[in-house]
Order: sequence, then C-alpha cells, then structure tokens
Amino acid sequence: MTLMTMIVKMTEGLSKTCAIFFLTLIFSLPLGMIIALLRMSKNKIVSNVTRFVISVLRGTPLMLQLLAVTYGPYYLFDFAVSKNKLIPVVIAFAINYAAYFSEIYRGGIESMPVGQYEAAEVLGYTKAQTFIRIILPQVIKRIMPSITNEVVTLVKDTSLAFTVSYQEMFTIGKQIANSQTSFTPFVVAGVFYFVFNAIVDFVMGKVEKRMDYYK
Amino acid sequence: MKKFTALLLAVFMIFALCACGGNSNTPEDEDTVTFVMGIDPEYPPFSYLGDDGEYTGFDVEVCKAVCDLLGWNFEIFGVNWDQKLIQLDADECDCVWAGMTLLDSMKEAGYVLSAPYYDSTQVILVKADSGIATADDLAGKTVAVQLGTSGEALLAEDGDLADWAATFKDLITCDSFLSCFSELGGGSVDAVFVDKPVAAAFVAENEGYVVIDENLGAEQYGIAFRSGDEELCKAVEDAVAQLVENGTYAKIAENYPDIVNNLIFLN
Repeated sequence: MTLMTMIVKMTEGLSKTCAIFFLTLIFSLPLGMIIALLRMSKNKIVSNVTRFVISVLRGTPLMLQLLAVTYGPYYLFDFAVSKNKLIPVVIAFAINYAAYFSEIYRGGIESMPVGQYEAAEVLGYTKAQTFIRIILPQVIKRIMPSITNEVVTLVKDTSLAFTVSYQEMFTIGKQIANSQTSFTPFVVAGVFYFVFNAIVDFVMGKVEKRMDYYK
Repeated sequence: MKKFTALLLAVFMIFALCACGGNSNTPEDEDTVTFVMGIDPEYPPFSYLGDDGEYTGFDVEVCKAVCDLLGWNFEIFGVNWDQKLIQLDADECDCVWAGMTLLDSMKEAGYVLSAPYYDSTQVILVKADSGIATADDLAGKTVAVQLGTSGEALLAEDGDLADWAATFKDLITCDSFLSCFSELGGGSVDAVFVDKPVAAAFVAENEGYVVIDENLGAEQYGIAFRSGDEELCKAVEDAVAQLVENGTYAKIAENYPDIVNNLIFLN
C-alpha cells in the first residue's frame, strides 16, 4: 500500500474522529453544568445520588462504558443495535466527559468568595441573575485551563471507539498496520493526533486570551 | 484572527457533518437479501485491507463469489475480534467468516457452525540466528501469542498445549500480530506462536526469520452463524460446494499460495 493510499484512507477515518470530538463537546459541556448543579443541590438525596453517578462514570473505564451503551440495550431489552455507530459512541463519550466537566465546574463555582453573593444580594440581584451574570463568567475564566486539559484528552480518547467497530482514524490505522505488517500507519496517526491537538491548543489559547478582559 | 478561528472551526464542523452523512448505503432492494459478512480486518491472508484500501483476502473473495452466485447483496462489517460473537448476536453481521477457529465452546453456546474448510496448524516463528530449532528448545524462553487467537487458547492453562507452555520462561499476550512480531524483532521475546499462513506471509516479506512447523495444535477454520440460522448456513455451504465444483474456488485459492495446501475442499 502506498503512503498516499494510507493517508487518504486514514483521513476518511479522521472525519469520523472529528464527528465524535465535536458532538461529544456539544453535548457534554452543557450536560456537565446540569450535573454540577445537581451535585451542589441543597437536597441531600439529589446531591448524593449525583455523587454516586459521577463516581461510577469516573471510576469505570470508558471502554467498558462504550460496550455497555452499545450492546447493553440489546442484551437487557433486546433492542436492535444502532446501525449508525456514531450514536451510541457519542452518548457514551458525552456522559463520561460530562462527569469530568461537572467536577471542574463545581470546583470553579465553589471557589467563588461568598462576599460576591452577598454584594449581589445587597444590589438587588436575584439568585439566578447572580449566578448567570456575576458568578458564571468568572467561573468560565477560571476553569479554562482544566477544560483545555480534558478537551486535549478527548482528542486522543476518540481512538477507543474501535471497541465497537466504529471506523474512526485509529481503527483504520490499526487495520492497515496489521494487514500490511507495517508500523507507518501508527506514525501517521501520531502526526494526525498531534496536529489536531495543536489546533485545539491554539483555539483554546485564543479563547482564554479573549476572556482576559480584567487586565 | 477571530475570523481565522471561526473559519477553522467551520472546516472541522463540515468534516464532522460529512461523517454523519457518510453512512448512506445503496438503496436497498426489498427483494434481494443483503448478506453482511463479519470479518477480522486485521487477519491476512484471510481478510485484510488490501493495497488499494479495500477489504480483501481469501475469505472475502469466496464470500463475494457466494453472494454473486446466490444473487445476494454483499456487505462487509469489520468486527472487533475480541467481541466478534457479541457483534454477531447483536445482528451487526450475519456470520463471522475470517479464518476463525471452530471451537466446541461456540457449539455449546448455540452458534450454528459450518463444516470446516481449512486445516490450521500453529507454528513457531523465531529469528534465524536464535539457535532454536525444535519446539522443545523453547523451554526457558519467552514466547508471545496474540490475544483471542486459537494459539492463545492452546497455550492457556486448560488448553491442549498447556504442559508445553509450562516449560516457557514467560508467555506474553499481545493484542495484534504486529505487536507480536515487533516484540520478536526487538528481542523482548524469543519466539512467536502463530497461525501458519500468518507466519508464512511474514517470513516472505521479512528477512532473518524462520518458521518451525511441527504440526502443533491442528485446528480447523469454519464459519459461525447465529443460533437458528441453519438454513442460511446450509445455503452458504451449498454455494461454496458449487464454487468448488465449477473451479472458481481453486481459482481464488491460486492468489493465496500460502494457504492452498491446507484448504480442505481442494485436498
């Protein structure tokens, strides 16, 4: 197989890798916020249940969760397995990453000094207004580096989709490597991931800079 | 700069959308059966990614011929070998057909198995200058084997070759043939226990390796179908028999000289 065919074939897979990446971010970032708010709920039951769910999601391998989401419904309820593998893959990734994001959000929200809430109350802000207008913008600023960390990890974690035969870039790379007994596809995959992450780094850097409005 | 960032994101989004829409299969004709063949895309020469980036291999070509003969639509699904039977159960493919060793455990679990079509033997792959010449020389050596293969099953504690495996210094399980071979090339293991055709193909392309063939662990390859699919299995077996008769089978086999001698229907 020529290097060109190899790259073309793996680029086809790269579009699927991108699909996992973007769809996961689109769903897990807001979902993480919902989980974080539930986790900080004053209701002990709600917060403890959420805490347990988070610990399960963070405490079991993503690979296992992928298998569970894809084949669990079939074994438990005899549902047909989705023909479009992107759906179960994104569900598993989104839920898993939401658990991580929620803890980052919580850390950010809880780091805000109580004085800000009190000042907002004195100025007549409602609780919702305080959270959305005053707390949240500062939290986002503060947690950006941690979020970037997770996003970079996500790029590399997309390779786990091979477990359920989703033909993303690394799955194809592995197939070429074993079919042609060659190590080159792994080098190509490494370059692809690195470039992808360099772009992520660059974009996140820009976002961080734009939020540097206090200086 | 903001515009550039936005543009970059847009390009990625388009990529992502392409992937969503990429699954549009050819419009399905109600009357024609679509036969989805489950293969291991990493198992030359039975099923693998060819030089042109399309799936090929002996099993793939035979299955294609079977579908042509029966007028079925032919589709390929690359299974994750560790989960092949789950994926078969889950209706993702209609059979697993990729140099698969027929195991009693599959029959016990209710899968419909075809008659065997290939006699597989396991061989030992070593470096030419290693001084290892027979199976007994492996005592005290480190050996690698691929996870989920019949070789691994044979060497496992309750396998047929467990006593032999007990003489090894260490048995290492790798997740692919490539990593087994890389371990051997890099010197971290002394030998690889592997299916004969895979070893033969590797030796043909790489210098400095030899195969030790002592007829170890003779096993047979066959096709697995879901339980209850006896008719489907029969149809495929009959079609293969026809291909053997009209010579198509032998013609396909000519392209795979490494495995010809072990094909049951031709010998």
